Amino acid sequence: MREGRWASVTPLLELEGVWKVFSGVPVLKGVRFSLEPGEIHALLGGNGSGKSTLMKIIAGVYAMDAGTMRFKGASVRVDSPSAAHALGIYMVPQEPHIFPHLSLLENLGMGLPYGAKELSDRVRPVMEALEFHADLFEPAAFLSIAQQQLLEIVRGLLREASVLIFDEPTSALTFREAEHLFERMRRLAREGIGIVFISHRLGEVMEVADRVSVLRDGVMVLEGPTEALTPHDLVRAMLPEATDVPVEPTERRGTTGSDPVLEVRGLSSEAFRDANFRLYPGEVLGVAGLVGSGRTELAEAIAGLDPHARGEVRVGGVPLRRLGPAESQRRGLVYVPEDRHAHGIFLELASLYTMTASILPELGRVFLSTAKEAAVGRRFVDSLNIKLHSLWQPAGTLSGGNQQKVVLAKALATRPRVIILDEPTRGIDASARRDVYRLIRALAEQGVGVLLISSELEEVVELSDRVLVMHKGRILGMLEGEAITLERVTEASFGNRGVSA
Amino acid sequence: MARFWKSWEFALLGLLVLEILVLGAVNSTFYDPENLFYSTLDFMHILFAALPLTLVIITAGIDISGVSVMGLASITLGLVWVAGVNVFVAAGAALLVGVLAGLLNGVFVAKTDVNPLVVTLGTLFMYAGLAQGLPSLLDLLGFKAYGSEGLAAYQYEGITGLPDSFIALTEGTVGIVPYPLILVLFFALALGLLLHRTRFGRYLYLIGVNPEAARYSGIPIVRTLVIAYVLSGFGAALAGVMLTSYMTSARADLGGDALLPIITAVVLGGADILGGSGTILGTLLAGLLLGFLRQGLLALGVTNDLIQVVIGGLLIAAMAAKQLLSRWGERRLNRRALSASQRG
Amino acid sequence: MALLLILLVVATGFVNPNILRFKSLVEILNASLTLVLIALGEMFVIFTRGIDVSVGAATGLAAVILGTTLNLGWPVGLAILAALSTGVLAGAVNAFGVTFLRVPPIIMTLGTLGIYRGLMRIITGGSWIENLPQSIKDPNLWGFLGVPFFVWATFLVLAVTAWTTLRFRPARFFYAVGDNEQGAYVLGLPVRATQFVAYTLAGLFAALAAVVYTSQIGFVSMNAADGYELKAIAANVLGGVSLTGGAGTPLGAAVGALFMTAVHSMLIFLGVPGIWDNAFAGLILLLVVYADYRLRRALELQRRQARILGEGGGSGG
Repeated sequence: MREGRWASVTPLLELEGVWKVFSGVPVLKGVRFSLEPGEIHALLGGNGSGKSTLMKIIAGVYAMDAGTMRFKGASVRVDSPSAAHALGIYMVPQEPHIFPHLSLLENLGMGLPYGAKELSDRVRPVMEALEFHADLFEPAAFLSIAQQQLLEIVRGLLREASVLIFDEPTSALTFREAEHLFERMRRLAREGIGIVFISHRLGEVMEVADRVSVLRDGVMVLEGPTEALTPHDLVRAMLPEATDVPVEPTERRGTTGSDPVLEVRGLSSEAFRDANFRLYPGEVLGVAGLVGSGRTELAEAIAGLDPHARGEVRVGGVPLRRLGPAESQRRGLVYVPEDRHAHGIFLELASLYTMTASILPELGRVFLSTAKEAAVGRRFVDSLNIKLHSLWQPAGTLSGGNQQKVVLAKALATRPRVIILDEPTRGIDASARRDVYRLIRALAEQGVGVLLISSELEEVVELSDRVLVMHKGRILGMLEGEAITLERVTEASFGNRGVSA
Repeated sequence: MARFWKSWEFALLGLLVLEILVLGAVNSTFYDPENLFYSTLDFMHILFAALPLTLVIITAGIDISGVSVMGLASITLGLVWVAGVNVFVAAGAALLVGVLAGLLNGVFVAKTDVNPLVVTLGTLFMYAGLAQGLPSLLDLLGFKAYGSEGLAAYQYEGITGLPDSFIALTEGTVGIVPYPLILVLFFALALGLLLHRTRFGRYLYLIGVNPEAARYSGIPIVRTLVIAYVLSGFGAALAGVMLTSYMTSARADLGGDALLPIITAVVLGGADILGGSGTILGTLLAGLLLGFLRQGLLALGVTNDLIQVVIGGLLIAAMAAKQLLSRWGERRLNRRALSASQRG
Repeated sequence: MALLLILLVVATGFVNPNILRFKSLVEILNASLTLVLIALGEMFVIFTRGIDVSVGAATGLAAVILGTTLNLGWPVGLAILAALSTGVLAGAVNAFGVTFLRVPPIIMTLGTLGIYRGLMRIITGGSWIENLPQSIKDPNLWGFLGVPFFVWATFLVLAVTAWTTLRFRPARFFYAVGDNEQGAYVLGLPVRATQFVAYTLAGLFAALAAVVYTSQIGFVSMNAADGYELKAIAANVLGGVSLTGGAGTPLGAAVGALFMTAVHSMLIFLGVPGIWDNAFAGLILLLVVYADYRLRRALELQRRQARILGEGGGSGG
């Protein structure tokens, strides 16, 4: 409820003219932001807009390069997280910070002055309210992603903070858990606590926030009470071009009589069981499902990255021995990982080096040919529209979208017959996203079989010829042709059968 | 190529030239090229070990067992020769020992997730102990007859009386350049080509920067790592063989406390201890820099111990400077970008 | 690990029963004290995911200071204080380099290793420090219940350390900083201070070891405690203190140190010449870490099998 707002009181936070530069690139350009006590303020923005950076400055993790910050009217310098904590400002981060060797209880209480007994007394009711069930004394290494996120949320709720910042707190949670969180947030707001809530889910924002601020490319472009704004206003503020992008209607291709380029039979491993399906050349097979349904594990097993998997995988009729990515690539199957930073890209090295990492043997028998290598690089810069000023600039200096293109180039350089894309558009800006879509269509036209794993269901629906839905490790069924709609795919992801097999 | 002028290697080259000028000013013998080249014999073993160690460090690994391998190679050479085998074949055996030592290191590191520091710590002990006990062990195994009073007698004295042809390895020169220096340069050339021009070298960098991404990209990690550690072991053995010729005696403790200078050479040469960067040229230049520094200080009458202090301090200072410079550079870059954007 | 130790003793006992006599066991304990103390100090550094290869040199330096001041006529108490200060200072230098200059720990401590060893030789002028006053060698002779004074003292230090790391909340910061440094920072933990304390403690413990060492041996050579740092690291690894930080206990480190010393003694009792000491130490270290690796893999495999066979796969929401 939006009543109970504290009027005519000094704002909790006032930031003016905040600038932040990273490696020569300005990420925040003169941003202003304010937070009233008892208010739930949502911060929206696309990838790379700077919303996390702004919050990290408030929370003391980063220092602003220019600008002022006032807390409860007084000018302050927050140059470390402990300084922020001292003021009563706490941020629940987007990526959970876990101490894997320490117990859950210790993780929760780290930095708090409570002894073990008092801590567990305080922790239990909070965990109950969020329906967070886990063993307090087990090492935190065993927690699932969702549990880790809840851990961070509990940490935030345990603090006696006057400003609480939540950075994408619901990305790994179920609807129920998210609802519990929102209930808590409302309760805290009623007590006068100011809450900042970063999200990219408009539904949540409209439901919970009192005020919304929209950040785009480091500049605050919109700010106002949620009552006065529509979702469309917000979308337009975040991505002015994207909403008007004409989406070329895809004709769903039916599977022709050709032989499948990828066959998976009875594949099982830790996170999934009994996967069976076929992929045909020139087809885009979407794989939908919630986080944790086992899709990435399935893809990794197919690509040979999982030595414990059992079952059969055939590429072009030839069974894979699943010895590893090298063998798979030799047979024409390549996997583009979900987490490009951890598994895909070599940030400190030249972008070119990432692109050619999988095909070095082709660049020369003994010595590498710089000419050949550069030619490969230029080819992909052109075909994928990669924006860089030198092939040799470190991959870490590229934007998220261009980094993803570099990783794609690496995969495409192996001239695959089957390409598995795992969340290819995660964390990249709108124009790069469009480029990736165009690439997928082009690949299909060239006869490559594309396995597209994505949590962006609109993407899956738009691009796929057929859709495979996974739930809790099993393939629920296959959607074809007219049946591929957003509603059907969403429902199926949640486990609703009624999907034709 | 324009980048070379701003590179770390160029700075090292400049420092090297400066150093020789300064040393020469203090003691004019340093201006005599023949003398200068001859003095490299005293520290060539550092170079032989440090050059391939660069490869290992680029992969974010480390190998501290080199010092022990030097001694093991040396004593192996001595014992095999005493048994009546041609001294050069014995040298070959010593090099083989180095390869095997590196093989063990490499396989252990590549196939288990045990920290390379721990692995090579264990082999440091093991190889040193093996080197020390080898004479008695061989006696027990029945080779006693080969030594006049049994091989065990060589434990403390080392093996001397090596043939002149072998000693000549470190005595001969081509013009004014001693053989070992030529060998070092060839070794450096070979390793440099390997590192910068072959895919093996590229794999080293990729593994060092992001081992998981390397795995997903289909890079042959096990093979690459094993070769790197084998080369490191080989380099250490080569150092041991050369030292044996230079000292005219095969001893198990030949390596001494060379660990500090060896690692200093690699780090000073620009390699990041955390992996992902480094060059052979850098290590070579840094090794020469350190070596001449030591020679110069010795010529000035500075004691060995103080030299150790100096090298230790130099290592720390170099790293601290590197960190500071990169942080300042980043700050300047950001400040410039800030004012540019604020104006624009 | 402790099990292995007992096994080792029993096994040797079969060959040479003399080892099982109380006196022999106590002797082993006595001989391990220096390493135990150094290992405890090193432990704190390793907790924070750092490493210190200069602790042996710090011990040597502190011993040299101790010997020199005693020979200059300083009263025992003051001399010991001087030695302890040396250790703390040595550790603090490392701490400064790592936390403020941001030099990687292996490099920093490798540098100070050279510096401290060099200093040792310079101060002693290359000769041994002998003829130490009886006052320092006396405690070595004190005993209680047949167990030497130093063993009791070390045991006390160990107990205090163990209790502190378990119960004293700020002590948990060592683990947190090592387990996830960025996370610890974001949570507001005093990361730099924790790291600083870790390296300084390593120096303090090294100095404590120097006191015991000097008292037990009776003189200080210029190579005192040579190589002890590596043995201390090995002791920690053997004792379950992971080099990647965040795990391990003082008891583990102590048992590891004991184990390494015990191996040496075992060999003597088995009639193997001391020359093989290093070889066995290295071999055992390798075997233990290999076994640990296989064990962890097997456990993980077990967990995976259980999950596959359990519900139909799919962990988490």
